Amino acid sequence: MISINQNKIFKVLRSSGTYGSIPSKIYLDQKNAHNQIIVLSKIISSFLGEKRVPMLIIDQDPILNDKKMFGARSAAIFGFSIFGTHHTYLLNREGEIDYDKLNNFIKNFGDKPFFIFGFTSLIFEFLIKKLYKKKLKNVHWSNAIMLHGGGWKKMEQNKINNKKFKSILTEKLNIRKIYNYYGLVEQTGSIFIECQKCFCFITSVFSDIIIRDKYFNVLEEGKKGFIQLMSLLPSSYPGHNILTEDLGQIVNNDKCICADKGKAFLVFGRMPNAEIRGCSDTV
Amino acid sequence: MINFSKVKILIGNKKIENKILLPYDEKICKFLSDFSNELNNFKGSSKFPDILSLAFFCRKGNIIKLKKKFLASLDNKRLPLGLIFHITPSNIPTNFVYSLVFGLINGNSNIVKVTSKNFEQVNIILKVMNQTLKKHDELKKMITVVKYNNEDSFTEEVSKICDARIIWGGDNSIKNIRKFQLKPRAFDLTFADRYSICVIDSHRLNKVKQDDFASLIQKFYNDTFVVDQNACSSPHLILWRGNKNEKIQNIFWGLLNNLVEKKYDLTHTASVDKYTELCKKIIQDPSIKKFKTYSNNLYVVDLNNLSPNLDTYRGKWGFFYQYNIKKINEINKYINNKFQTLTYFGLKKKELEKFIFFNKLKGIDRIVPIGQALNIDFIWDGYDINRILTRVIDFK
Repeated sequence: MISINQNKIFKVLRSSGTYGSIPSKIYLDQKNAHNQIIVLSKIISSFLGEKRVPMLIIDQDPILNDKKMFGARSAAIFGFSIFGTHHTYLLNREGEIDYDKLNNFIKNFGDKPFFIFGFTSLIFEFLIKKLYKKKLKNVHWSNAIMLHGGGWKKMEQNKINNKKFKSILTEKLNIRKIYNYYGLVEQTGSIFIECQKCFCFITSVFSDIIIRDKYFNVLEEGKKGFIQLMSLLPSSYPGHNILTEDLGQIVNNDKCICADKGKAFLVFGRMPNAEIRGCSDTV
Repeated sequence: MINFSKVKILIGNKKIENKILLPYDEKICKFLSDFSNELNNFKGSSKFPDILSLAFFCRKGNIIKLKKKFLASLDNKRLPLGLIFHITPSNIPTNFVYSLVFGLINGNSNIVKVTSKNFEQVNIILKVMNQTLKKHDELKKMITVVKYNNEDSFTEEVSKICDARIIWGGDNSIKNIRKFQLKPRAFDLTFADRYSICVIDSHRLNKVKQDDFASLIQKFYNDTFVVDQNACSSPHLILWRGNKNEKIQNIFWGLLNNLVEKKYDLTHTASVDKYTELCKKIIQDPSIKKFKTYSNNLYVVDLNNLSPNLDTYRGKWGFFYQYNIKKINEINKYINNKFQTLTYFGLKKKELEKFIFFNKLKGIDRIVPIGQALNIDFIWDGYDINRILTRVIDFK
């Protein structure tokens, strides 16, 4: 997606897109990239504070990984890295937990607020399932501020919902500040952070949402349908208004403080892959 | 010995006895008509139109008719080939039975790979067939039905012993399965990706009475929406023959849309994929003249001209291309061997026959009135299946 001259290209992002196989490319000029950072900072600072803090990333270092890793995953890691210092990756080259590194990180930074970032499914896999508490030297996790996103399909298979995910982390590691986010690579910057009271995502002043049915009619609050996302940020590519394949629902939250801030909505993940009839497949 | 450890046997057992009978043997015919009766009597059948059509296909009357046709059209000095290995499509639940019937009725022994997806229809059919087989001991030795995912080693082993292999399901599956060698005299009967079109005479449609119009619309719906427009014989392109009559075209699509709204359950996936395809086409293809969307149920795209790669103009879930022609002969040069079925309305059989044979077309194997696109038969995809699945003995 591009709407600038070739010579203005400053950075290229890749999105897994809708069809998986061919990632779409998103072309940024300097101004667009800059705006993304400013807006992302504003949104992140609402819960992380204005100051950068030590950052623990629940993943491998994308630089170490020789396989052509993730794309969206490394993009997110790099994107959020600007809010951290002392970036520490939990996993080693083999994809296992590096306990020495982890213990060092907590020992050095655990007594003040620090930032944990990762994909939901990886946090589940490593912090919830694999992390062996007896190998931890200190359990100063109470200052952690966790931001996680994506990967709910895997959670569903494990029968873990958002609430349970949070409560296990609190129980096991005493992490209390856990923020789920939702966003598209196509609209990097204007992400949606979950309200800590009603657990809905909230639109910011930079974004808006519409829910549509399968005939693309606009649906009222409380009805489930396609999520269409609007962002003020894209200026070097046509990504300001995107009909996604995710299903969601706008929730009326009169009773929650978030109601004053924007639209509150839930995300149910990618629409189910419907079985297509026809005779061109034999599996 | 075939290793069955990684496959699930649904009918039959590990012993493949390779029993054969004469083509259209009374025992086979009796088995099929019994199977048809039991399908009809089974409690859960009635809600599945595809099971009912299958039962209708196997009914006594039809089997007798098929047998008569077989005896009349072929010298009866024919014997079955032996063991047929069927690899059947995963998305049409009843298709595996038709394939089995093709092999069985000609006296062959059969190993059928059935879809690994879970369809209630498949479960019903297997249950009923097992039940019917209890009274048909000899037939038991001719039918094995198995289910497996991508267990290549099983495909490989059966391929080594079978006398013919029937591969349904697209160019890719065929390519993949052909890696596994057959015996020197064995061969593949393949049903590759095909393309189908529909020709309607505008003038004749304009003259049609209201009731007949409604019935035509229903038939067109059956050819297309019933299988998400994704069967090889469902049309993608509608050619309107005669003077351009936009009014009658719009009436046709309007009525179709009314029916679709009542009967078709559009999925979210279909809605997005269809819309994406439309946008892509509009951006990429200069031969798109205009389009009309009837909510998201039905898209109709007008073409400026026909392209040499006409068979790539495909739609799914109710996405049609249309183009006006004065004479049917205008499309000669676009017909390649990808073309399978031509469904028609308002044209004479004679002129279509002339169109095919006079032009010696490279494609189009089936010409049927609108409504019969999906009616599977012993002549299919250009093959005479009775002849192919038997061998002829030359007596002098």
